[in-house]
Amino acid sequence: MKGGDESLRIGIPRALLYYYYAPFWKPFFEELGVEVVISDETNKGIVNRGVREAVSEICVPIKIFIGHSLNLLRKGVDYIFVPRMVSISPLEFFCPKFMGLPDMLRHGVNKLEDKILTCQIQSMDDDISDYRLYLPLADILGVTEEQMKESAAKAREEWLAFRMYSKMGHTIPEALNLVENIPISKRKEASHPAIKIGVLGYVYNIYDSFVSMDVIEKLRDLQVSFITFDMLEEQDLKNEIQDIRKPLFWTFTNKLLGAGYRFFSNREVDGVIHITAFGCGPDSMLSKLFEIRSNETGVPFMMIRVDEHTGENHLQTRIEAFVDMLKRKKRVG
Amino acid sequence: MNVTFPYMGTVIIYKKLLELLGHHVIVPPRPSQKTLDLGVKYSPEFACFPFKTIMGSYIEACELGATTIVTSGGHGPCRAGFYSEIHQRILKELGYNVDFIVFDSYFRDKERFMENVRKLKGNYSWFHVAKAIKFTFDMIRELDKLDRWIHRIKPYEKVPGLTKKVWEEIQQQFDQVTTRRELKKARKKGKKMIESIPLQEIDHEKRIRIGIVGEIYVVMEPSINMEIENVLGELGCEVERSHYLSEWINDNMLPRFLKHSDEEEILKKGEPFIEIEIGGHAKHTVGRIVDFKEKGFDGIIHLMPFGCLPELISQSVIPRISKEYDIPVLTLSLDEQTGQANNRTRIEAFIDLIRNTKLKKYTYTA
Repeated sequence: MKGGDESLRIGIPRALLYYYYAPFWKPFFEELGVEVVISDETNKGIVNRGVREAVSEICVPIKIFIGHSLNLLRKGVDYIFVPRMVSISPLEFFCPKFMGLPDMLRHGVNKLEDKILTCQIQSMDDDISDYRLYLPLADILGVTEEQMKESAAKAREEWLAFRMYSKMGHTIPEALNLVENIPISKRKEASHPAIKIGVLGYVYNIYDSFVSMDVIEKLRDLQVSFITFDMLEEQDLKNEIQDIRKPLFWTFTNKLLGAGYRFFSNREVDGVIHITAFGCGPDSMLSKLFEIRSNETGVPFMMIRVDEHTGENHLQTRIEAFVDMLKRKKRVG
Repeated sequence: MNVTFPYMGTVIIYKKLLELLGHHVIVPPRPSQKTLDLGVKYSPEFACFPFKTIMGSYIEACELGATTIVTSGGHGPCRAGFYSEIHQRILKELGYNVDFIVFDSYFRDKERFMENVRKLKGNYSWFHVAKAIKFTFDMIRELDKLDRWIHRIKPYEKVPGLTKKVWEEIQQQFDQVTTRRELKKARKKGKKMIESIPLQEIDHEKRIRIGIVGEIYVVMEPSINMEIENVLGELGCEVERSHYLSEWINDNMLPRFLKHSDEEEILKKGEPFIEIEIGGHAKHTVGRIVDFKEKGFDGIIHLMPFGCLPELISQSVIPRISKEYDIPVLTLSLDEQTGQANNRTRIEAFIDLIRNTKLKKYTYTA
């Protein structure tokens, strides 16, 4: 359905929750007749621009997000879509940096002041397709409430399909392609992977191949199969941490905690790797919880911290060593 | 039980309250290098600075025989609300057998809240508990008043260091207080002591007033913020903080109809820059900057722990506020690596800048 301002170009940064919600946001805007521009894949230039504009202590993913926003500015978009992510679960929130992201871009980054298109996302579960959340954008987009409602319903279908592909065991880049009918390249996975690893980390760290230096591909090259939190059912993740007196405040951190506790307790994996970005506050707590749980269960655990100038060789070496150790352990045990 | 608590600000208050409830209180030592060393050693590397300091402080208190730790929880989404959970697990791993009584928001878990109160209350009547709480609250209010006064006159003292000494004596006096009558006496005596400090006369135009804003722990705890109020006082500045314990209690613990607070107004002032509450004191911080400016302050020092989630958002928007409101702001990020000399130099340069600007204004109009 078309109806919006045909000439309007809205940019979505290929960063942070792009890796979870792009399959909703992109079709939603497109259905409304708006041209959607996605920023380039993360590269050195994008990272450097982000680093230059951000306050120095902030975490790498936010720096990268700023870089992507500036990339969109160069592409001449009219607006950059930066929703204020507040909560997608009762009593849980997003990290404060997500909640203040539109403020930070508007007041803290040069030239972005009038470019930020924002609305507040607050829902009861992962599904953020309630059109009413996006109503504040209606005037700017030049669309009616009815149009929004219909577009949101259609976009929701795509998002659900995307989540289904993830739960079938596809990585997020694969799921993103599948939902857009782009064929995914044949996997080089071995038919009998020797070991399986639980890979824990936020979608924007693991699946941004610049940030994680393609850790997933590296594991595949080593004949290792893996599982990540986004491949599990939301409810299963919740069940894992049900007994904790006080779960963490941050939704996605809780998802990782749930996935991690499951990996540690039911032995479906041989080892667990936690990939965290430099300066991540929630992860400083999370990793400690994993460490303690690893000591209790004896399931090997490794934390890898990536930042804007991590050397790839060091990562390769650490992963190889960890995998070797797991393989040796399995043969002996 | 041997009860202890996290060390922050005017600690005699927590001590007093727990004592009035009949507990044997172990006051943790004032955070020192040893505290930090311990805290850093046993905390996650990227935990925030207050977490590490409190971690070290708990270990020291446990070594002194503490068996119960009373602390607050908080409902997030900043990390401080989760401190107690991780502290507990780490202490357990280290082999300390210590109970935690964590006060989360009453509304998050009413039952648990009341259970905690009962644990602390022991056999005392509710009336006694209410009285004890009211008493300590009044006490901290009096102390905070004197605290503000002290840092207003400190820059003008004729005898260097006298105000600091007086403030320490006042705190000791209050520490002895157990009845209302004694509280009144201590207050009077405190007032008199302050009034008797000889001061220099300084032209109103030449006075420099600095507001300190930021994350509550580093703003309130002098042992980890390089005693910034004193440093500024010695540099000739009047100082006011954005956090006082009495205000915190007022804003966070009292029911709405009992509040006489300007908190809402302050948050409103921060709204153009940070639209919603994002946890911690981010919105409060930016609101306070505007508020201090409107009250005629000359400059702001913004303190935050290294990597503090909410304060990084404040830090990002501060340059804009500083420009729009024409008020200089210096952000200092503190952690265990903080070089005192480095920060001191930055503070001195900052104050010089303010003084020069002010002087220029003054001489032009004269």
